[in-house]
Amino acid sequence: MKALVIGWDCATPELVFNKFLDELPNFRKLLKNATYGRMESCDPPITIPAWMVMATSINPGKLGIYGFRHRKNNSYTDIWISNSLKFKNVPKVWDILGKYGKKSCIIGLPPTYPPLPLNGCMISCFITPDATKDYTYPVELKKEIEKEIGEYIFDVPFRTDEKDELVKNLWEMTQRRHELVKYLIQNKEWDLFWFVEIGLDRVQHAFWRYFDEQHHLHEPNSPYKNVIRDYYKLLDKNLGELLDLIDDDTAIFIVSDHGAKRMKGAFCINEWLIRNKWLVLKEEPREIVSIGKADVDWSKTKAWGWGGYYARIFFNVKGREENGIIPKEEYEKMRKKLAEEIRKAKDDKGNVMNTKVFTPEELYPECNGDPPDLMVYFDDLYWRSAGTIGHGRVHLEKNDTGPDDAVHAKHGIFVKYPADEKRIEASIYDFAPTLLHTLGIEIPKHMEGKVIK
Amino acid sequence: MTEGKEEKGKYTTVSIPTPLAEKIKKRIEGTGFNSISSYVTYVLRELLASMEEEEEEAFSKEDEEKIKERLRALGYLD
Repeated sequence: MKALVIGWDCATPELVFNKFLDELPNFRKLLKNATYGRMESCDPPITIPAWMVMATSINPGKLGIYGFRHRKNNSYTDIWISNSLKFKNVPKVWDILGKYGKKSCIIGLPPTYPPLPLNGCMISCFITPDATKDYTYPVELKKEIEKEIGEYIFDVPFRTDEKDELVKNLWEMTQRRHELVKYLIQNKEWDLFWFVEIGLDRVQHAFWRYFDEQHHLHEPNSPYKNVIRDYYKLLDKNLGELLDLIDDDTAIFIVSDHGAKRMKGAFCINEWLIRNKWLVLKEEPREIVSIGKADVDWSKTKAWGWGGYYARIFFNVKGREENGIIPKEEYEKMRKKLAEEIRKAKDDKGNVMNTKVFTPEELYPECNGDPPDLMVYFDDLYWRSAGTIGHGRVHLEKNDTGPDDAVHAKHGIFVKYPADEKRIEASIYDFAPTLLHTLGIEIPKHMEGKVIK
Repeated sequence: MTEGKEEKGKYTTVSIPTPLAEKIKKRIEGTGFNSISSYVTYVLRELLASMEEEEEEAFSKEDEEKIKERLRALGYLD
């Protein structure tokens, strides 16, 4: 048996299984012979690391990836960007299949730049600097792609107010990628074909307010009201065309790394830390600046934070950070204290939020790489974290790094076809074992999930 | 170990002992490897990749700035 895995980044169970289902004829038809349901993502439920957790059935701590960026050598400002080399010796499903002589074709799965050798072919993800780079394995594949579809589009700048332009770019990127997928499905040998369409994540972040009446910035009857629905319809149309190319001996999976929900606002973590005496500035900034550019008094600062869909908090520890002040023996006590205080943080209306605070050690049996000291989901992720300073307040109604209407929800989707029609609840850790099982390959013992039956 | 039909210049011939070739032939029976060459290429690539230095950088300095700029434009960095 072979497998085609269709990755719809950010596909949201409430939308595909309910709200838009009637308008997605191909998807609906597929569900009649499918095992499907919500798939719980990892912690944190973010594109990087979630796709890699799906491809390995290994937790982010063991993989050593906690997001797009990480601190370099406990620096206050230096970062490294997630990339494939950081876990190149970790077996991804295509590495395991390769050992059995099976061929894989992997497209756009983050983070796969730089593309590493495999038995098959690969096109890297949106972490690729640009299309002038060697973004394929084997290298010659790039020429073939350009001949077939022109310049490959990795991503679109989606945090923009130029919404018409964004719609045009999203449709163009998605159509081009699907044309390429159709070409490769027919022209390459493969046992596993797995591609990820990032456009769905972008369209939901950029247009959520126009269709969700509960969104605090909802604009009724906006011309963009149906953009998200229409994008799902575009995916559905392409799904139908892909199904026409597939033989009966191919299992089809449709999966997402996490879901989406409305953003209630941005919580300025560093503004809050300043007000609560954890972070001290030498001078108030005159404009909005990132923490890296702020005039921080490190001799008095105990903790600072990063923005993102979840907040990462770092402590200024003696002997670890350059100007660390928290003695090592007080570190655990301080972590507990700050975690308690953050759990009591209030929203813009003065209500205590449903905020979740974790230490990486609580979430993962081992913590490789550069983990933060605390991980925070403000109001169960409804409030994103803003890292910038100089707003003069803690709560923002909009994102600080450009327009963004949605945040991440913990559950994405899982669909397997053909299978008995039944609703299930899956875990992202179950995906790799289920895929290997479907392809008749023994499941390695290190995998953390189970086979979905 | 020749791949006659391949484009000239992109492939070269390497000699391996016949018993080893026989062993590989047996090893790949019933797998997706359709030739000794494809198996040997796969194994060598794996080996070389694992031998490359751990600290190899993914991005040159210039590329790192480029990708940070793009991630900033995407709103992932503040």
